[in-house]
Amino acid sequence: MSSQVRIALEKVSKSYWRGPHETTVLKEISLSVYAGECVAVWGQRGSGKTTLLKVAAGLEAPESGTVRFKEQDLGVMSRAALVRLLREEIGWARRAGPESDELEMLDYVALPLLKRQTLRRARRRSAAALSRVGVGECSKGRWEDLTDGERTLVSIAHAMVRQPSLLVVDDPTANLDVLQREEVMGLLRSTAEQDWLGVLITVPDMPSMVHAHRIGSLSDGHLLVPSGTLPERDNVVEFPARGRAAPG
Amino acid sequence: MSAKNAVLGLVIERPGYGYDLARRLEERFGSSGFAPTGVYSALDQLSSEELVRSAGARPGSANERAAPRTIYEATPKGIDRFEGWMLGDSSLAPVRDELYMKIALSRPHNLSRLIELTQTQEQDCLALLHQLREPTGRPQGRPKAWSEVAVLLVRDAEIKQLQARIEWLQKARTIMHKLKEVHQHGTARGDGTA
Repeated sequence: MSSQVRIALEKVSKSYWRGPHETTVLKEISLSVYAGECVAVWGQRGSGKTTLLKVAAGLEAPESGTVRFKEQDLGVMSRAALVRLLREEIGWARRAGPESDELEMLDYVALPLLKRQTLRRARRRSAAALSRVGVGECSKGRWEDLTDGERTLVSIAHAMVRQPSLLVVDDPTANLDVLQREEVMGLLRSTAEQDWLGVLITVPDMPSMVHAHRIGSLSDGHLLVPSGTLPERDNVVEFPARGRAAPG
Repeated sequence: MSAKNAVLGLVIERPGYGYDLARRLEERFGSSGFAPTGVYSALDQLSSEELVRSAGARPGSANERAAPRTIYEATPKGIDRFEGWMLGDSSLAPVRDELYMKIALSRPHNLSRLIELTQTQEQDCLALLHQLREPTGRPQGRPKAWSEVAVLLVRDAEIKQLQARIEWLQKARTIMHKLKEVHQHGTARGDGTA
């Protein structure tokens, strides 16, 4: 089972200084995300959800505790190795969109591939990624022309185009109505199951969590999981991923 | 609210026998706390009021000795009654909560236990939420039929209630932690305000 762990946080703590006051937002949090599952963390505004995601995605280092990606300790990695990991293995869905307003979505989603692939090939994979998440018709559109739901899906396509092992999405259901939310959350769950990805998301509204394989609530720096559920590893067995047999 | 209207609505949607209706009631309104046995008493009441009637029987599964199961369907009178209920006002259920009562009647030395209770309740709320999973058989993705959307809206309402509860529990726990520290500090100094 351990080989299927995509990201494992062990007793991770993180604080921020706000003026003279130190605020601990994560207090010895442990959380693992396995291949084939979608894990959703809910918390109120300011509860540290985004900090948790940034630490899990290797974008911020914890003050104590360890973060392991496929059993590699991020804390002892060289900067170059960490950058390579972030580029190739971890997909962070950017909510801000492209920096240029002129960029068509086909090229925006193709951007992460251009360093290693020709424009033609990158565009072909970009088109496939956009179609995969259900917004193929947006390929010629610009960011400002898209609805909130389309922007979310394009962001997911942008993060997935390099076929990462871990997809991290901060608040994928923001500003979506119930129908759009179902579409996005259904996509994230099926992506985890079919592409054998680990998916870690945060949500501000609990109805979005229903599609996740596992859920947790973040408050006062602590992560609570539902009572009566088994320890993390066994939870994966409890709600097994569909669509692909677990590798041995 | 009794299970009567819910059972009548389910029978109008699709005729069924007792166990089938109990299962559908749990699936659609699981968090409403209807007891499965309530379906049978609701069917008895609905039958005696001629709002549902027998539409035949289903053989008793693989076990030949099992009694055939009566399949219920709505009568025209039942459909009229249901439409009337649908047009009527909807009441808000009164909130009767043991934790509220404990907090209201507590003293500072109870704070540690109350903090534990808020945590346990939050975990229980999360467990309930985890049980409100996808209605079985519904394809993933954007719902298309109104019946699917209606189920989602009701599920959202139930989950939002759990969310509001969890938010309140977290806020209550935060303030209890602070007051507990103040109380402990005061006790250590000998103030002893209890």
